[in-house]
Amino acid sequence: MLKKYFILLLVLVIPFLSYSQEGFPVNGVNDIRENHYAFINANIIIDYKTKLENGILVIKNGVITSVGKNVSIPEGIRVFDLQGNYVYPSFIDLYTDYGIIDDESRNISSNWISSYNSPQMLSNKSGPFAWNESIRPEYNSVDYIKIDNKISNKLRSEGFGLVVSHNMDGIMRGTGSLVSLGDDVEQKIIIKDKVSNHFSFMKGSTRQRYPSSLMGAVALLKQSFFDANWYSTNSGKINETNLSLSAINKNNNLPKIIEVRDKLKVLLAQKIEKEIGIKFIIKGQGDEYQRIKEIKEGNSNLIVPINYPKPYNVDDPFKNKDILLSQLKHWELAPSNPFFLEKNNIDFSITTNGLKNLSDFRDNLIKSHERGASKAILLKALTYNPSKFIKMENKLGALNESFIANFFIADGDIFSEKTKIISNWVQGKWHRVNDTNIIDFSGEYLLSFNGENKKFNDVLLTVYGDKDKPRAKIGSVELTDSLESTNKILIDDENINLSFNLKKDNGVNSPGEYKLSGFFSNGRFIGKGTLNNLEWFEWTGVKKSVNKIKIDKTLKVSRSKKENIGDVIYPFVEYGSKNLKSQERMLIKGAKIWTLEGEGIIEKGDVLIDKGKIIEVGEEISVNGNDTRIVDGSGMHLTPGIIDEHSHIALSGVNEGSQSNTAEVRMKDVINSEDVNIYRQLAGGVTTSQLLHGSANAIGGQSAIVKFRWGSSPEEMIISDADEYIKFALGENVKRSRATSSTRFPDTRMGVEQVFVDAFNKAKIYESKWKYYNSLSKKEKINAVMPRKDIELDALKDILNGQMHITCHSYVQSEINMLMKVAEKFDFKVNTFTHILEGYKVADIMANHGAGGASFADWWAFKNEVKEAIPYNAALMTQAGVVTAINSDNREMARRLNQEAGKTIKYGNLSEIEAVKLVTLNPAKLLNLDHRMGSIKVGKDADLVLWNGHPLSIYSKPLKTIVDGKIYYDLEEDKKLRNEIKKERARIISKMKNSDVRSGSRRKPVKTAHFELTCEDEYDYQSTSEN
Amino acid sequence: MKKLYLLILFIISQNIYSQVPEPVGEQDRPIILYNAQVHIGNGTIIENGYICFDSGKITHVGDFNNTILRNFENHIQFDLNNKLVYPGLILPISKVGLEDISAIRATRDHTEIGDINSNIRTLTSYNTDSDMISTFRFNGILLSQVTPDGDLITGNSSIMMMEGWNWEDAAYKVDNGIHFKWPRKTYPPSRRSGSTEFRSNTNYKSTVDKIHKFLIDSRSYFDRRDNIEEINLKLEAMLGVFSDEKKVYIHANSREQIIESVQTFKRHGINNLVIVGADDAYYAIDFIKENNLPILLNNIHRTPSRNQEDVDLPYKLPYLLYKEGILVGLTASGSLHSQRNLPFLAGTSVAYGVPKEEALKMITYNTARILGIDNLTGSLEVGKDANIIVSKGDILDMRTSQIVHAFITGREINLNGKQQILYDRFNRKYSN
Repeated sequence: MLKKYFILLLVLVIPFLSYSQEGFPVNGVNDIRENHYAFINANIIIDYKTKLENGILVIKNGVITSVGKNVSIPEGIRVFDLQGNYVYPSFIDLYTDYGIIDDESRNISSNWISSYNSPQMLSNKSGPFAWNESIRPEYNSVDYIKIDNKISNKLRSEGFGLVVSHNMDGIMRGTGSLVSLGDDVEQKIIIKDKVSNHFSFMKGSTRQRYPSSLMGAVALLKQSFFDANWYSTNSGKINETNLSLSAINKNNNLPKIIEVRDKLKVLLAQKIEKEIGIKFIIKGQGDEYQRIKEIKEGNSNLIVPINYPKPYNVDDPFKNKDILLSQLKHWELAPSNPFFLEKNNIDFSITTNGLKNLSDFRDNLIKSHERGASKAILLKALTYNPSKFIKMENKLGALNESFIANFFIADGDIFSEKTKIISNWVQGKWHRVNDTNIIDFSGEYLLSFNGENKKFNDVLLTVYGDKDKPRAKIGSVELTDSLESTNKILIDDENINLSFNLKKDNGVNSPGEYKLSGFFSNGRFIGKGTLNNLEWFEWTGVKKSVNKIKIDKTLKVSRSKKENIGDVIYPFVEYGSKNLKSQERMLIKGAKIWTLEGEGIIEKGDVLIDKGKIIEVGEEISVNGNDTRIVDGSGMHLTPGIIDEHSHIALSGVNEGSQSNTAEVRMKDVINSEDVNIYRQLAGGVTTSQLLHGSANAIGGQSAIVKFRWGSSPEEMIISDADEYIKFALGENVKRSRATSSTRFPDTRMGVEQVFVDAFNKAKIYESKWKYYNSLSKKEKINAVMPRKDIELDALKDILNGQMHITCHSYVQSEINMLMKVAEKFDFKVNTFTHILEGYKVADIMANHGAGGASFADWWAFKNEVKEAIPYNAALMTQAGVVTAINSDNREMARRLNQEAGKTIKYGNLSEIEAVKLVTLNPAKLLNLDHRMGSIKVGKDADLVLWNGHPLSIYSKPLKTIVDGKIYYDLEEDKKLRNEIKKERARIISKMKNSDVRSGSRRKPVKTAHFELTCEDEYDYQSTSEN
Repeated sequence: MKKLYLLILFIISQNIYSQVPEPVGEQDRPIILYNAQVHIGNGTIIENGYICFDSGKITHVGDFNNTILRNFENHIQFDLNNKLVYPGLILPISKVGLEDISAIRATRDHTEIGDINSNIRTLTSYNTDSDMISTFRFNGILLSQVTPDGDLITGNSSIMMMEGWNWEDAAYKVDNGIHFKWPRKTYPPSRRSGSTEFRSNTNYKSTVDKIHKFLIDSRSYFDRRDNIEEINLKLEAMLGVFSDEKKVYIHANSREQIIESVQTFKRHGINNLVIVGADDAYYAIDFIKENNLPILLNNIHRTPSRNQEDVDLPYKLPYLLYKEGILVGLTASGSLHSQRNLPFLAGTSVAYGVPKEEALKMITYNTARILGIDNLTGSLEVGKDANIIVSKGDILDMRTSQIVHAFITGREINLNGKQQILYDRFNRKYSN
């Protein structure tokens, strides 16, 4: 009874509520209320781990004044008896852009051609701000927030009461505000104006060209923090005003939230934060379970979405082939993500971000629980953790005394599907979510009609189903609320509306179109209606039986608790596997061994490997004990693993081509360990690759030299003690010969030289400035200006000091010679010229300088600068004493590098051993890794390929590819893997077919493009296209 | 033999000044090649065989063990010392002669404006002086189907020889077919869109309708061919299709494309069809067999189209089709410069299941059949043109391929080109 009164009261009161704010003029009379209420007989979830049964909650002026079992209720205040309903602290979403109206919003350039020909190099923003438009730390979201009742209403319906809102645009996005989801004025709903500081690796809407890649974004983020440090250290000593840098410093104490695109970028953020010396809260994409071990090691607080993917329509077997295994598996495993996080003790909060339909939130939350995440942890992720992440755990996230009165009332446990949220109280103010006074009309009713001309006999109306979504049946005519049906029932509060067609004259009632409208009164329906829109009649529906009728055909398929769920595989793509490879002690017996060392070819030899190293090579090796796996190599050939000096696979970006000098970017930041091409190349015998920056600019980025440790994380793939390399480039790509015109310097080979000379000059000056500064005493430093730390110049300085080596994309002889002369001027050596198709013309000069060459076997004529490329290049360079390799720059050809090397026999008559060296020992030398790989020698890494035939022949293929003594590819295993993939796909597809779609529709299978990144790709961050 | 080397040396020295090898004259004396392993091209090998040709035609092929050399006294005699003899290789679907440097627009002559270009023909644009040609001959490719590129109906291909003073000389079979690029149902996402999902082609239906209408109109043009008042070049070009002189080459890759395109042409009574591309042929084997379709398969040196596919699916695709009895020819689609690797594509198909002589057929005999020139070439059989190559070793493997002679219609051509000249020059430099 009390409840009904309460609702009536509020229905009456709400329209008269007016907004008021101190100091604001009032149009009318003052209406300030204390909102002083008590709630009794409640199941109060005080915090995520404490439940109070039969509790009392008292609030006043938007704050909780007391909570407990024996709380004295001040006299005279309104008391609501909740009759066992649940009170939850309302949820907090840290990752929204609620209410942000951005006047500055910019659209992504649609005219990329003009942005290619005349790129925007500098910021167009007025004022003393950062040089790059994606760096906007000065942006305060609070300045742009406007109440959005539509969104807040939706969020409240899911149990949310507070959000952190920020503008999701840029790499440094400025501050976020803590906003309540009330409908008061902005002055009231903003709980805290600056509560968080936001970042991402995505440049956002700016048209400025830099950064055009992920690694560029990373570099810019880092550099901006370093710049801020320089700015504050030198405060008062330099004449510079930069509001962006000062904002970074000012907001440095706020929690830093960074948004990333997937689980690998979570790892990236964890790596970058260490380099900057800060700590991020990382907002992921819900795929963290796919690299949970590594993410756990990074020890971060996470924000994760629960936007679980919808199933595909899987009815066409040929279309199904376009669905990736990772998409199938993610559909199945995504709801387990919170469980994985909980199991690994990772603190996380949950966001609605990424949900296409907010009303899926509860469903997905419940699903997360069904998949093993505990109620406590899920509640914690929605209440305590978000408040703790933004250092507000003393005010929010629980129902303690003096906390903000943000809570919602539900008619049961929130993790039960049947439970409905009744109301959501924001800052002590009531908001309706669901009507509590919905009458359950289920039952059978006898309808009688009394028309002007005719009388109708009784018709049976059966109402069944959910009380808020009732369905009905008239005789045999089904009434639904679906649009297709001409038969409809609508029950809105206490009004009922029915329409149906009677097709045949059943001898009792006339056929025709019936439309009935009525209301419920005194236990029956009563009202009026029309037949064929013409004749009016009166009707009544009298309840026949008291018992509820269950004709629930629509009952959802009950979800079985013992759902069969597949394993997480590493990497999370096809040919990944749940178990990581292990090192084996292995004896390969009786193979023809291409040692590439003094002993040449051992016609029938043995190689023993252990703990990832080659420990014995000889004609007959015997081992004791059973701990050695014996591999019969008779009739087979054994070579060192193939090393690809020039590759762009396994990367999520290739070119930061927006500026002529981007020495600051690192391919190590963008390694994609989940690229199926890694496995495909293992199947071609490749064990090590230099993942290079592209050739869009003169000074590109720093390389990642990796071993193909399939299944490992990006960091584990990197050869940790390898030398540092950097990509340079010359010629047509650098001067943008494909553009019809270009405004970017350089536009000629003459200019390219100047880019290098200028860069190295700057690096020298930079180095001496730091040398001077570092030589000062502590005291002297106080008054001195600290030089700006510049990660671009750091790299160039390393080149000058021989700590970083150049691999230079090059084609024609003039430019090759030029770079060597520039290097000699600055007293260092060019390590490698890559592509170098005219190397044969200056091979003698290269040999004198000490530069190596990594070339294509037979490419030419794809552009003007390669019209004199000849397939004899590798042979001629070898002849002239240049350390020469054959490389791929192509994800497919890398699988056949041995055959490409074989072409040098046809073209130039190299010896077979020399030819094999082109893809093994020589590239190892070019990468300064020949001390540990490239030949079969005791002490070197056990990176080996066992071939079924001559390693230079087109008819041969690898039987086993071994990296670090682990067999990563095995022809026989491969057959099993193929079968497993088929079985796993079949299992999930059939599960998908039988799954119910709770809301929305199924996704159509769509082919996913797997872009090949090549040297020349420039637009590769967001994605790229085929060659 | 010595004479021959002298001749070659002479030609090389000539070429120091002119980079494109000079064409040679008609075969004026009969030639016999003997002591050779002869690969006929139709699946058979003669271990110690010989082959004779005169006036450009093959006159004898057989077992040399039972042959007396004296009977061939009027022949120029080549003792091949167990070298291997093969039919000249045929490269289908190529832009050779129509493009020199792909990045330079001015050197590209393969794609015309417009989407109905049935009247366009490659024949007269074929540049016999292209630097590409000598690199192709060097690897044994003697004939090519020079094919236009473009959007929808791209035009007529012709079979051209890799030798000749001009296109007229070089023409082998003129206007042998019309090429239709079947529209795609989906497109890859744009690289700047941020999406990795394929987009559907909203114009698919209307583009197919365009083809329908074109076929209806050209059919009626054919039926009225004796009473045409105003000549329509585009429809005129289709006459050969209805009179069965021209084949229709359908460039299609997906299962849906293959099915829908073939059904369309058949509905219009056009049955002389070839599928070009067929990346997804593996998924359409049922349909290809049902309709007995010959396939000119896309370059098999590619990565699988889908992650879950067997890592070697493209490599073994020729085998999977061959084993179903489907007639397969290999193309070397992709960059023009890399098409000289055609024989090695056949080599790869051997590594993945195709018997060696069957793989050879996929770049000779099968291709000739598919292109409709098997009456002239494609195998070393008496009466056919003397398109012959001689190699020191297996030509399907780069490790052994060393082609030493090549004859186009009996003429021994110069195998060296600009690349060999540059090699010689710098070889001399570094040998000192």
